[in-house]
Amino acid sequence: MLVRRLLYLLREAVANVLTNRTTTIVAVATTAFTFACVGVFLLLYVNLKAMAASLEQDIQVMVYVQDDLPDSARGEIEVQLRADRAVRSLSYVSKERALADFQAQFPSESRLLQGLGQNPLPASFVVTLAADSRSAEAMRRWATRTQLIPGVGQVQYNQEWVEALAGIVRYIEVAAIIVGVILSAASVTIIANTIRLALYSRREEIEILGLIGASSTFIRVPYLLEGAALGLCGSALSLVILKAGFELFRHEIHSATRFLGVDTLLTFFSFEMCAVLICVGLFLGCAGSFLSLLHVGEGRA
Amino acid sequence: MIQLFHVSKYYDRRPALSDVTLEIEKGEFVLLMGPSGAGKSTLLKLLIGAERPEEGQILIQGRSLSKLRAWEIPVLRRKVGIVLQDFRLLPKKTVFDNVSLPLLVQGASTPDIRRKVAEALRSVGLDHKKDLFPSGLSTGEQQRVCIARAIVNGPIMLLADEPTGNLDPDLTSEIIELFKAINARGTTIIVATHDPNVLAQVNRRVITLDHGKVVSREQVCS
Repeated sequence: MLVRRLLYLLREAVANVLTNRTTTIVAVATTAFTFACVGVFLLLYVNLKAMAASLEQDIQVMVYVQDDLPDSARGEIEVQLRADRAVRSLSYVSKERALADFQAQFPSESRLLQGLGQNPLPASFVVTLAADSRSAEAMRRWATRTQLIPGVGQVQYNQEWVEALAGIVRYIEVAAIIVGVILSAASVTIIANTIRLALYSRREEIEILGLIGASSTFIRVPYLLEGAALGLCGSALSLVILKAGFELFRHEIHSATRFLGVDTLLTFFSFEMCAVLICVGLFLGCAGSFLSLLHVGEGRA
Repeated sequence: MIQLFHVSKYYDRRPALSDVTLEIEKGEFVLLMGPSGAGKSTLLKLLIGAERPEEGQILIQGRSLSKLRAWEIPVLRRKVGIVLQDFRLLPKKTVFDNVSLPLLVQGASTPDIRRKVAEALRSVGLDHKKDLFPSGLSTGEQQRVCIARAIVNGPIMLLADEPTGNLDPDLTSEIIELFKAINARGTTIIVATHDPNVLAQVNRRVITLDHGKVVSREQVCS
């Protein structure tokens, strides 16, 4: 009994799609394009965030110790740093090692230091922070705290750069949300209008169903299914478009020698993310249908 | 079975029905006569809950229609068969599918649907055309399919709004005979018409409406 009704409702949904074939194709294509626009922002966000996380991993904090600090005091600083949960690893760079590193990296400038007579470079601890302490805010807090350890001269990291990157990611996130909301509303409207057209073309049938005692659920379900199918196909097609565009972009980047290696950093949505996006499309499709069906199949005329 | 107490219905402040009080017994065959705009269709719409009266009460089997909740209206309509002047058949469905629709929305089982649709089509003489589409039928046959759809779920009453409006006198007689046969099985029938051919063939109670008011009743033709 239930199976027969379900089959009927499914058949009706398919019939709706086939009856309004052109409208359906246009709606799926428009929805796919709209979802793809949101997808571009999401991809940008996902990649920038991954890139920021990868770059944050490489960021090291320099904890300079005061000159002429006795070994015991230096050891005390090292003990404190190692005990800190925010510190993942650290290494000590003596004054002599710092000078040697400088000379190796900047041989043409090394004569300037020789002219000073004594080694002006301070000894330091090169600290790599734990993953959960690498955000701009966490790094700033940690630097302020470490600065207060007796014997520590200065704590340095590329603060502006880290904060700028975090800022960009935040902006992209906000833009993705705004664009996502606006374009999702557009998708809902497109699907709602498609369903309205389907309802209009089958208004006589809906009226007959109402007259013979069909419940509003019975009348509405095929159109809800149609909306869900539109949303699902639209989002799936948008992922195909995005993937094609993404691969093309990666190929172009790979060909351009000045971006050597950048293409390996680029990532597409994970399988789980794709599934979520398809579910979102399905949900928006249902929402569009629901809006069109608000007053359809009500008992009173 | 059907009771109307001082029922009034207005469209844009103009009365479509005005202070109508009447009673129809179970198993009766009633003709609602009157010119176009007399309020016949409005009365039928009120009886299936498609419209609400502004004033008065309508009771069907002792139940007030104004107290029905939205979900109860489809339940009421499943007990009522409706025949319309323009048949309202679904053009892309076969005769069988059109007739089975009321059973399908009720959730009847497949064997039940097959049996009841066959019975209904047999009673209107169209069981051999169950696989045809409405476009392959004559107007008289289309109206008979419409009647089969109206009676397939054994309704307590059958409402027909100008059922012979599109038919010639011969087909009109055919349809009226069908209604009489259905009525003989105990189904209450109300036919709204302005067709004098119908009046001539139905020797039953006639209620005449004009400008929304009952102008004559209890007239039984002999």
